[in-house]
Amino acid sequence: MAARVAELPAELKYIQYEHSLESQYLPAIRALISKDLSEPYSIYVYRYFLYQWGHLCFMALDPVDSSLIGVVICKLEHHASHSPPTRRGYIAMLAVAAPYRGHGVATVLVKKAIDAMAQKNADEVVLETEETNIPAMRLYERLGFLRSKKLHRYYLNGNSAYRLVLLLRHIDPDGHEDPNGAADLSLDDMDTAPR
Amino acid sequence: MAQEEASVSQEFTGLSIDHPVYCYGQPQPPPVTSEGVIAIDITRNFLDAAATLEPGQLVKDGYFTLFESVGAIEIMDPKMDSGCLAPDESLDEDYDVTRPLLPAEVLGIIDQLLCLEMAWHLGYPLSQTLLTNVYIEAMLVPNPTTIKEADFIRGEGPRDPMFIVLRAYCLGLLKACLHVNERIKYEHYYEEEDFVTTTYHRSLLENIDDIEIRDEIMAAKRLVHSLRPKISDEMADALSFRLELRTAFLRAIELAELRSHWESLSLPWSQMKAIWEPINRSRHLGTPVPEAFSTKLQRRLASTMPPRPIVQPSFEETYEHFKKFFADGIDLLKILNYTDSQSLLNFVVTFQAQKPQPLVYIRTLLQWFLIQDMVVLGRVSIRQVLDDDLSIVALPCSRLLDPANDEVEAPHDTRFAIAHQMELFRQRVAPSYLDIFKALCQNRCRVRRALCHAIQDWETVQMDAEEIDQLLQVQLEEKPITYDGSTPAYSIPLSSWAYLYKVRLMEWIVQLGFELETYQPDEMAGMYWYLSYLAKTRAKHAERIKAFTVQRLNELRAHPFSNTAAMEATFTTSLSYLRATILDATSTLELADALSCLYTVLGRLRLIVPPPRPYSSDELRYEIRMKPFAPISLPRLPSYDNFVRLSAQHETSTAGLLDFAQRAVVNAKMGYDVLGKMGEKEAFTANAHERWLAGIKNCNKSGIAINIAVAAIRRALESGAAKEGGMAPGEQKVMVELPKPAKSYHEWWIVPKIVEKKS
Ligand SMILES: CC(C)(COP(=O)(O)OP(=O)(O)OC[C@H]1O[C@@H](n2cnc3c(N)ncnc32)[C@H](O)[C@@H]1OP(=O)(O)O)[C@@H](O)C(=O)NCCC(=O)NCCS
Repeated sequence: MAARVAELPAELKYIQYEHSLESQYLPAIRALISKDLSEPYSIYVYRYFLYQWGHLCFMALDPVDSSLIGVVICKLEHHASHSPPTRRGYIAMLAVAAPYRGHGVATVLVKKAIDAMAQKNADEVVLETEETNIPAMRLYERLGFLRSKKLHRYYLNGNSAYRLVLLLRHIDPDGHEDPNGAADLSLDDMDTAPR
Repeated sequence: MAQEEASVSQEFTGLSIDHPVYCYGQPQPPPVTSEGVIAIDITRNFLDAAATLEPGQLVKDGYFTLFESVGAIEIMDPKMDSGCLAPDESLDEDYDVTRPLLPAEVLGIIDQLLCLEMAWHLGYPLSQTLLTNVYIEAMLVPNPTTIKEADFIRGEGPRDPMFIVLRAYCLGLLKACLHVNERIKYEHYYEEEDFVTTTYHRSLLENIDDIEIRDEIMAAKRLVHSLRPKISDEMADALSFRLELRTAFLRAIELAELRSHWESLSLPWSQMKAIWEPINRSRHLGTPVPEAFSTKLQRRLASTMPPRPIVQPSFEETYEHFKKFFADGIDLLKILNYTDSQSLLNFVVTFQAQKPQPLVYIRTLLQWFLIQDMVVLGRVSIRQVLDDDLSIVALPCSRLLDPANDEVEAPHDTRFAIAHQMELFRQRVAPSYLDIFKALCQNRCRVRRALCHAIQDWETVQMDAEEIDQLLQVQLEEKPITYDGSTPAYSIPLSSWAYLYKVRLMEWIVQLGFELETYQPDEMAGMYWYLSYLAKTRAKHAERIKAFTVQRLNELRAHPFSNTAAMEATFTTSLSYLRATILDATSTLELADALSCLYTVLGRLRLIVPPPRPYSSDELRYEIRMKPFAPISLPRLPSYDNFVRLSAQHETSTAGLLDFAQRAVVNAKMGYDVLGKMGEKEAFTANAHERWLAGIKNCNKSGIAINIAVAAIRRALESGAAKEGGMAPGEQKVMVELPKPAKSYHEWWIVPKIVEKKS
């Protein structure tokens, strides 16, 4: 494995993906993502995301030769299996080339993705990550994600995962807008509080 | 390396991106002529349509889903295309299954098969485990329909003795796998998550009778015996034990289906447990035959997956897993000794809390024993279990549970009305009640998720029960009583029963959150506070039930009947259940309080520092964390402000919080000590008492660990190693480590460790 760089090359370029960049960057994106996967995704998986949500994909590029250093790929859809339905963003893939890790590259990419999703009125952003992937979990939790549940043996290698959730706005359980967001201040049920 | 991978990948993607393969200009299509078919040449239409697209432009069908994209493969990618071979690679395995085998080689193959069998039990597919063995492949293909055909070599002819031994072993192995697979498929489990049941269209000796297989194993054992002088006693024993394991396994499976008396069912499990040790000790006699296992065999399976690596735990791991498997099997059978509903619940709770959790086959047997066609443990009706439970929890000697009510035919008789309402009630709650047991049989992650759904169900169970309570209290002409100095209240026993369960399920959800490492360090103070709030609710509610029960007992004593003694005994059972419940709930609330205070202090000293979280607010995170509890009307989820106020306790000094934590540990210990001295009758832990007691002891040990942490913080505050409001990062001389649940005394009590910082 290539040695870690002590410092990042000055000012990486962060750009939003678009279809015209496919031939230039898709092979590199696939190579970068596949490296940490035991089973590769077919090209259709990448295109599935990039064709529909290219605007939610961001790349970190080397300022000198414009080579790919990091990438995040997302989608944003209505999620209706629960009531009320929400607009749910999903971070599908994230990777930073090994030598460039630990310099905040992934953090910038994820922030850009969240910003883009928030701009498109996402209510929440979710993702899954392997229980053993400490760097990823730290990164997301630092931004405000919470582990909502553990998924038993979620991956083919037998590892479990956590579902991480970032709520961007209050979701009214009955599905209508919350007019004043007033919190329930009644204290009566607090009489049973231990202290 | 990075370079290389990129170029490999580019090679494949290059095909699709840079060099679109245009099909026209290629050989003409054959003319399609067939009766009843009118062929239309669409080449033109296609070319016209294609001409409207830019080169490289993507078109997506509206129905093309993520699922399909994940299932798609790319031809000539070795990780996706099962027919893609490396240069010089042969498609098929060329191992000769007819070659002679030494005894040591047979032993080596068997031992590797044991490891693969365990990998399968652990959740890996047959394709990456047992079906990588060439002998098994030879035995299963073509599908044998008679015992004779079930052999590596088909047709007549003499067989080498070692062949006969290996064949007998494989017969027993595959038949056991068939039964295990069928049992798992029949019960509730999660495919691919818990287990992979696909056999890739291979029949695991379905057509062959168990008895015939057992005869073959017996014959092989006799053969081994006759070979003793030739192959050495040691080797003969080693092979015999392995064959015996197969016989015992088949017998264990066969008997488990009966769900009869546990002692008779446990015999083969005890045998397996006993044989397992000499098997482990004789492992060194074997010679591995790695050539007899190949991933290439996967290409012959009904699967589009390219060959994936063999998954094989080491023999040491395999040894531990099987050892636990046999021990769990023996333990599990004790559930068949039904005594009472609460012991049954405690059995399942403690059995499933074990680490590591029992394997999926054991867990599906547990389900199979528990509930089948509304019959529990093969012989107790669900009505009896429910009535037992109602009697223990809230209705000892109640007219509501009198079986004689069912005999009354006069519609105006109160007993007729009671029988009718109670039947409605039982029908309403039985599925929800059984769902608790079913939920508890799942893997731990699923238990928590299932309980999150269950509490919503129990919310409505409770409401429906309350309606029935109200109808019945009229029938019974119940007089309200004043039980804690407040306004007179009715007993509402059925909804009380439901409420007690609901609160307990809510506690379990929070506790499983600790066990599954769902909470971040800065959430701990709040989550232990909430746990304490729930436990307090449960304790208070059990006190309420007790007040009504005691009142009824006093009435009974005031007007003695002929059978008062028997009735007193039933009351005693109920009161001891309530006592154990109140002790359990108060000990839980005290320990949770202690930890909540401790974590609150760690936050104040900035020994636990929340991450910056620029995209989230505390209130929104509270909303996600408490989502399962938000729809519950009682106990109502505290508003965010109350939650913060009550868990942060700003009005209490840090020293005060530490004092409080210590007192709470003392109180918890008093409770646990009393519980720990209870016998299985008082604790309702028949058949599970040891496991339960170990849990109680571990709660007490957690209390000791809390005391140690509190003392360490006191010292740090005194010596200036830590300070209220935190210190500059360089100055702080202590830090906090949160142990993993598995490394804690108890998975539900995560006690922080205060450690000195290495300078
Ligand atoms: C997970 C992964 C994407 C993280 O990439 P990264 O660029 O190293 O992540 P970041 O640099 O943003 O954050 C990592 C660390 O660098 C630190 N960091 C250093 N300089 C930083 C800066 N300027 N800004 C923010 N963070 C910085 C962060 O604090 C963080 O520290 P931590 O380890 O204490 O949490 C990367 O490890 C990876 O590609 N892994 C393989 C693929 C993978 O696991 N993907 C995730 C699947 S969900």
